[in-house]
Amino acid sequence: MKSPAKFWLTRIVSVVLAIVGAFAAQGAIDGMKNSFVALLFVLAGLYVTLAVSLNLINGITGQFSMGHAAFYMIGAYTAALITKLAWKSQMNPMAWVLLMIVAGAITAALAGLLVGIPSLRLRGDYLAVVTLGFGEIVKIIAKNQEVLGKAYGMNNPLKYQSIFLVVLLAILCIAVCRNLLKTAHGLSFLAVREDEIASAAMGVNLTKVKVSAFVLGSAFAGAAGALYSHGLAFVSPESFSMDMSFLIVTMVVLGGTGSITGTSIAAIVLFLIPEKLRDLSNVKMGMIVGIGIALIITVALIKRAQDHYHKSSPPKAVVVIGLTIAGIMLAAGLGAGLANIPGLAAEVAGSKLRTVLLAVTLVVLMLLRPQGIFGHHEFSWSWVQKVLGKKNVPNVEVAA
Amino acid sequence: MSEPLLKLTEATIQFGGLIAVNKVSFEIERGQLFGLIGPNGAGKTTCFNLITGVYKPTAGSILFEGKPIGGTPANKIAYKGICRTFQNIRLFGSLSALENVVVGGFLRNRSSLGSALAYFPKAISETERLKGQALELLELVDLRDVANVRSADLAYGMQRRLEIARALATKPKLLLLDEPAAGMNPQEKVELLQMVKTIREQLGVTVLLIEHDMKFVMGLCERIVVLDHGEEIAQGPPEEIRNNPKVISAYLGEAV
Ligand SMILES: Nc1ncnc2c1ncn2[C@@H]1O[C@H](COP(=O)(O)OP(=O)(O)OP(=O)(O)O)[C@@H](O)[C@H]1O
Ligand SMILES: [Mg+2]
Repeated sequence: MKSPAKFWLTRIVSVVLAIVGAFAAQGAIDGMKNSFVALLFVLAGLYVTLAVSLNLINGITGQFSMGHAAFYMIGAYTAALITKLAWKSQMNPMAWVLLMIVAGAITAALAGLLVGIPSLRLRGDYLAVVTLGFGEIVKIIAKNQEVLGKAYGMNNPLKYQSIFLVVLLAILCIAVCRNLLKTAHGLSFLAVREDEIASAAMGVNLTKVKVSAFVLGSAFAGAAGALYSHGLAFVSPESFSMDMSFLIVTMVVLGGTGSITGTSIAAIVLFLIPEKLRDLSNVKMGMIVGIGIALIITVALIKRAQDHYHKSSPPKAVVVIGLTIAGIMLAAGLGAGLANIPGLAAEVAGSKLRTVLLAVTLVVLMLLRPQGIFGHHEFSWSWVQKVLGKKNVPNVEVAA
Repeated sequence: MSEPLLKLTEATIQFGGLIAVNKVSFEIERGQLFGLIGPNGAGKTTCFNLITGVYKPTAGSILFEGKPIGGTPANKIAYKGICRTFQNIRLFGSLSALENVVVGGFLRNRSSLGSALAYFPKAISETERLKGQALELLELVDLRDVANVRSADLAYGMQRRLEIARALATKPKLLLLDEPAAGMNPQEKVELLQMVKTIREQLGVTVLLIEHDMKFVMGLCERIVVLDHGEEIAQGPPEEIRNNPKVISAYLGEAV
């Protein structure tokens, strides 16, 4: 281990870097003077926190939770309600928001505790159903409480959209998960995911691990909720639908369960792609058919490539990436070509495609790479070198 | 005579109509190499499950160092000093060999979860300590070269030895091995036999093992208990067991 002085120096430097980075992000986005972009950035940042915190529960600890939006909602409503009751305009808004982040995290953590306890007895699909049900219950409670504004929702009197805080929260969430995975504690979480009976036989306290994962994951979602609440100055039950929970699960699954970097990247991409597709104009029928055909060919090719490798070793990512790029080019070509055939020239609304596209992506990915794009790997320089076959880097790091 | 390390008194477990372990009693002395044998379905693994807290005995008592442990949760039993390997290997497949052994040592970890989340020096040094200890154990079972290989990718014999290293990492007083030689070739079996002896000498652990290979059991164990249909049919030193008519008939005339 490094000497204490060196340790604290690195620690201080990284904290300062995180703060400077968050300020820089704030400055860059403010400089664009585009409130829509700023909003997208805030939401994308919050999704990173949501996905990475769910990854702690689903990916690292292996507890299949499907109700993450509920914890986000609890944090958001907590902040809105307390602000409505106690906020005075002469207070410092930043300090208030920080306080609300803590409050949101605490209420969500308590809810996490409540859900974490059944997780001790339930496994897999059953837990998924319970957490899904929990999400609906939370929504129904909000819809029926006068003080929470019933179905309409409620205003948060303090509008405070802070890219700085959003970025900082995401960094904190990522750092905490990464820290965990670098220690023996993290290995005990992973062990629970791998085999509960063996973990217990080795002395791992399953109760403590599972409940900690739920509480911690929910706390981060609650903190993100508080920032959402102040960022939009409005919360409503419909904003925290089951779809949102599915989207967050998809981010974790696509990114690679257990991989923090994979999950972060998937969160941003999966949040932004549908947003982009939203303002897509009409698409020619031929384009869709062309892309569909290309997709089938590509999947078949990638499957074939995979089968060439030894069963136990995962396929080379380079091959998969190469074939995927070829597939995209093929799709573009076929789409453009078929769109010119009169019979296939009819138009469909582009915005309707986004749900279909998301579903198709998920299905294709589950077929080709059930462990997610990044699998259990972290995206790091040595990993890139290994994938490219440049170097045989021994994996000494604690792998997720 | 000193108090036995483990003492089963009429330990019994019933699953519905099936009495899987029926009034089984035996005592294991400290430092002993003790064998548990019997035909398929005799209740040997279930006996292990009783001792390690997977199941709670429906009757009878289990004393470890003189204190009752029947029905104690599995993780607490490990903490008290009993650890096991599994008949149908249960490694943490996507973790490396080294990481598997670190998890074994984790129960004696002295840093808090908070310290791990903040990556404080205490958590770092504890992780380093556990890794160091894990490497030593991997050395002992001859797996140091594959420390960073995913455990699911290891050869079968290696996985069996890794399970032993992982169990040893919990610093057990009593080590339970469930068919450690199953699926190994004769050469590997000889090495394993030597390895178990070394482990007892170097680490001073008491060993209770289940094994179908009679040559292996007879060559290793100082005392043997035989189960059949959940009941104890014989107990004694190997040479007595070998010639016991009940044992011979339980094995249907197989050479014992
Ligand atoms: N949880 C359970 N529920 C019902 N029956 C069980 C349970 N566990 C074990 N049994 C039964 O108890 C009996 C003893 O099983 P056990 O696994 O202990 O045998 P064994 O001696 O280890 O055999 P083998 O040599 O094949 O490993 C079997 O008939 C088995 O089906
Ligand atoms: Mg058995």
